[in-house]
Amino acid sequence: MNRRTASSRRAALLVLPALLPTVLVLGAGLGAAVIQSLGLLPLVGKPELSSAAYRALVVDDVLTGLGVSVAIAAASTSLALLVGATAAVLVQRSRIGGLAAVAAAVVPIPHLVGAATVGLLLADSGLVARLVGAQPGTFPALVGGPWWVAVVLELAWKESAFVAVVVLSSLATTERDLDEAAAGLGAGPWQRLRRVTLPLAAPALVVSGTISFAYVVGSYEVAWLLGRTYPEPLAVLAFRLFSDTDLTMRPQALAVAVLTVAVAAGALVAGAALLRRVAVLR
Amino acid sequence: MTALVTPAPHGRSGRRVLRARVEARAAKWGRRAGTVAVTALLLVPFLPILLWAFADRWPYPELAPTVWGVGGWLTATAQGAWPALTRSLLLGLTVSAIATPLGAMAGRALARGRVPYGKMVTALLLAPVAVPPFAVTMGLTTVALRLGVPGVVALVAVLVVAAVPYTTYIMRAAYAGYDEGFEETARTLGAGSRHVLLRVHLPLVAPALAAAAFLAFLVGWSDYVVTLLIGAGRIVSLPLLLGASASASGNDPTIAVLALLATIPPVLLLTAVTVLSRRRTQR
Amino acid sequence: MSATLTITGLTRWYPATGAPTLDAIDLTVPAGGCVALLGPSGSGKSTALRLVAGLDTPDSGTVLIDGRSLAGIPPELRHTVLVFQSPRLFPHLNVLDNVAFPLLVAGSPRGQARDDAAQFLDLVGLTSLAHRRPATLSGGQEQRVALARALAARPDVLLLDEPFSALDPTVRAEMHTLLVELRAAVEPTILLVTHDQNEAAVLADTTAVLLDGRIAQHDRIDQLYARPVSLAVHGFLGGRNAVAGRVDDGAHHSRLGTLELPADVVVPRGPATLVVRQEAIRLVPTDRRADLLGVVSAVTARGARALVEVTVAGMSLTTESGPGERFEPGDRVGVVLPLDQRHAVPPATSMRSGESGSSRDVLRRATT
Repeated sequence: MNRRTASSRRAALLVLPALLPTVLVLGAGLGAAVIQSLGLLPLVGKPELSSAAYRALVVDDVLTGLGVSVAIAAASTSLALLVGATAAVLVQRSRIGGLAAVAAAVVPIPHLVGAATVGLLLADSGLVARLVGAQPGTFPALVGGPWWVAVVLELAWKESAFVAVVVLSSLATTERDLDEAAAGLGAGPWQRLRRVTLPLAAPALVVSGTISFAYVVGSYEVAWLLGRTYPEPLAVLAFRLFSDTDLTMRPQALAVAVLTVAVAAGALVAGAALLRRVAVLR
Repeated sequence: MTALVTPAPHGRSGRRVLRARVEARAAKWGRRAGTVAVTALLLVPFLPILLWAFADRWPYPELAPTVWGVGGWLTATAQGAWPALTRSLLLGLTVSAIATPLGAMAGRALARGRVPYGKMVTALLLAPVAVPPFAVTMGLTTVALRLGVPGVVALVAVLVVAAVPYTTYIMRAAYAGYDEGFEETARTLGAGSRHVLLRVHLPLVAPALAAAAFLAFLVGWSDYVVTLLIGAGRIVSLPLLLGASASASGNDPTIAVLALLATIPPVLLLTAVTVLSRRRTQR
Repeated sequence: MSATLTITGLTRWYPATGAPTLDAIDLTVPAGGCVALLGPSGSGKSTALRLVAGLDTPDSGTVLIDGRSLAGIPPELRHTVLVFQSPRLFPHLNVLDNVAFPLLVAGSPRGQARDDAAQFLDLVGLTSLAHRRPATLSGGQEQRVALARALAARPDVLLLDEPFSALDPTVRAEMHTLLVELRAAVEPTILLVTHDQNEAAVLADTTAVLLDGRIAQHDRIDQLYARPVSLAVHGFLGGRNAVAGRVDDGAHHSRLGTLELPADVVVPRGPATLVVRQEAIRLVPTDRRADLLGVVSAVTARGARALVEVTVAGMSLTTESGPGERFEPGDRVGVVLPLDQRHAVPPATSMRSGESGSSRDVLRRATT
C-alpha cells in the first residue's frame, strides 16, 4: 500500500508540469470569457451581472453565424472523411507509392498558407479561371461567394490529409493480414472493404472527424480570408466584435466565443459517444 | 453432422469466375487511377504558390507568367519577411522545447497507469485540441493585461497548452509500447540511472520524441489567431505578414513567396523526422 | 466438400534470392486426405501454401483442384482456406460472427449464417464463447475459432500453415486431437505445413519432406524414418548414423565389415552409405549374439532414454538406450543392427550438386 502511494505520488509529479499550465490557461481563459460575457469584467464602466450580451446576439444574427459555422464544418469534414479514407485505403492496396508521403506533407502546412494558395487557385483571376478560359466577370464567385466553396475546399484539403494519416496509422499492418484471411474465406474486394477494412477504420474515422469538426468550428483565418463578409461564421463574428473600437461590444464578442466553445465541446461529446459505439477493438 | 458436409452454399460456375476476374482487373485499375487522382488532388494547391513566387508579370488570362523574376522576393524582403521568419522559428522552437518534455513526462506517467484520477487527467490534457484557441485567448488577454503578464509570455503559454495534447498523446503511445525490461537489463549490466536515461531510455524513445517535438513546433509555427490577439500587431510572425498580405489585393507574387517561406521549414523538418525514424527501424 | 488437390511443377523465384524458393514441386493430396509438408524454416513451405491459396502467383507450374486449374482465380473464389499461425480473427466481430463471416460473404442471410456457424462452433467445442470478443480468448481458443471459421467456408482444400506452433505443448496436443476428430467428422482435404515431425506423424496420412525448395521424399512417416531416399532426408529427420561404404551382392561393405541388407532395399552396386536410425540399434552384453562389438564412448541423458555413443572399428555409432538400461563410458558392448532396419542410400547427398567432390570423399574414406 505504501509503495503504491509512493509510485502514484511520483506519477502525479510527472503529470503536474503539463497539467498545471493547461488547467491555468484553459481555466483562466474560459473563465474570464464567461465572466466578461456576463458583464462582470468590463473594460469601461461598472461590473454588473447581465445576460444582455447574449440577448443582443440572438437579435444580431448569431444564429445565422452558428448555422454557417456548423454547415462549413459539416461540409468540409464530410469531404475530408471521404477523401481521407479513400486515400488511406488506396495507400494500403495500391502498389503506386508516394500518396502516403504527399498526405503526410500536407498535414504540417499552416492553414493560412492553404487559404492563400487556394485563393490564388480559385479566385476569379486565379489558376482555375485561367485554365477553363473564363471571360472576365463570368467565373463563379468561389472565393467570397455565397456557397463558401473556397473555404470548404481549403479546409477539406488540409483535413483530408489529416484523416488519411490518422486512418493509415490505425490500419497499419494488421489490416493486410486480416484482408488476406477474408479473401481466403471467400470475400471479394468490395466485401472486404465493407466488412473488414471500414469497420477496422471506423474508430480512427470517428476520432479524426471529430477533431477536424471541432477545429473547423473554431478556426478563424480561412473563413476570414476566403469567405464573404456577411453572414459571418462564429469565429469571424467574435473577432470583429472583439476588435471593435466600441469597447462595450466586448461582452458580445466573448459571448460568441463561449458559444463557439460550446459547439466544439458538443461535437467532442457526440464524437466520444459515437466512438464508444464503434470502438470494439479494446 | 450431415449439415456440415453438405455442399458449399455457392457453386463455382465458370461465369462467376469470369466475372470475378473482370472485377479483380477493374478493381486493380480503379485503384491505380484512384491513387493517381487523389495524389494529384492533394498536390494541386501547391502549384499556384510555386508559379506565382517567380512571376513578375502574369496578366489574366495567360496560363503562365509572361515575365519570370524575383520581384515577389524583393517585396517580401522589404516587408520584413526574414525577421518575421526568424521570429516564427523562435516561437516554434520555444513552444517545442517546453511542450515536448512536459508531454514526455505526462505520457510516461499516464502509460504506466498509476496517475491518480488518470482518466480525468488525460481528458484535461487532451482537451485543448477541442477548445478554439481564439476563445481562450480572448478571455485570457484581459486577465493577462490586469495581472501585468508580458504578451510574449502569455503567447507562449497559450501555444504550449495547445501543443501539450499532441506531445502527451504521442509520448503516451510510445511509452505504452516501451519495454521497461531494457532499463532493467541495463541496470543489471551495471548502468547507473544517468546512463540508463542517456544510453537506453532516450535513444529508445527518440523517434517518438522527434515526432512530438515536430508537432509542437508546428503549433507555434502555424499560429495566426493567438499571435494576432495577444500581440495586437506588435508581434509580427510570418503568418501575420502573410495574413496581412493575403487580405490586401494585387500582390500575388508576395503572397506566394510568403506562403512558400511558411511551407518549406515544416516540410524539411518532416523529411528529417521521417528519415530519422526510418533509419532507426532499418537497423 | 472435399476435393483432390494436385500441384505440378510449382515454381516461385523471388528476384532477390539466388535460388528458387520453390523449385518445380509436384504433390497430390487425395480427397479427404491429409498431407504434411515438412521442412526446416526457409525451405519454402509457406510459399507453397500461399501459391495454392492464390495470395501469391507462381512463376510456373499449376495448382489443380479436381483437375481444374486455379490459375488466374482470385483467392476468394478458390475455396482454399488458409489457417495461419496467428489466428487472424476479425477484432470487430464476436466469435460467432467470425465463424459466420464466410457464410455471410457467400450470400447467406444473417440469421441462417449464424445458425450454421453455431454448428461449426459446436464442432470445436466453443459454443459457450459465441458472444465473446476475440481479444478475450486464449491462444488455443483463438485457433479453435479460426479452424471453425475455415471449415464454415466449406473449403475444397484446407490449408494449415503451422497453425499450432505458437501454442504451448499441452494445448498443441489438444489441438491435434481436435483436428483428428474434425477429420473424422467433415473429411476435409488438408495440406498441412509444419516443421514438427511429431505433428506430421499424428495428423497426416503421408508426409512430403521439402528441402531447399524441392520435395525430397513423399511417403508414410514410418517409411521416411526407415527408408529415407537420401542422406539429407535421413539427417533432416534426426538420423545420426551414416556409414560410408559400398553395396555389392545385397550387402553393405565398410569398415564395420559386411552387413546384409533387407530384400526390399534395392541399391545399385557401387558406393553407398549405410543408414540406421539410432532408435533401431540395440546394445547387448558382449556374451550375447551381436552384429558388431564396440566400446561406449559417451552417454548423454535424454529424459527417460539416453543417447549412447559407441565406438566400433574406429567409427562412432549413436544409439538410444531403453528405460532401465544403464551404460558408462568404457563399457564393452555388443551392437545389434536389426536386419529390417538397415538401409542404404546413394552417397551423392546433395541432389543439386550430384557431381561434387563430396561423394568421392565418402568413397575414399570407405575404401581406406
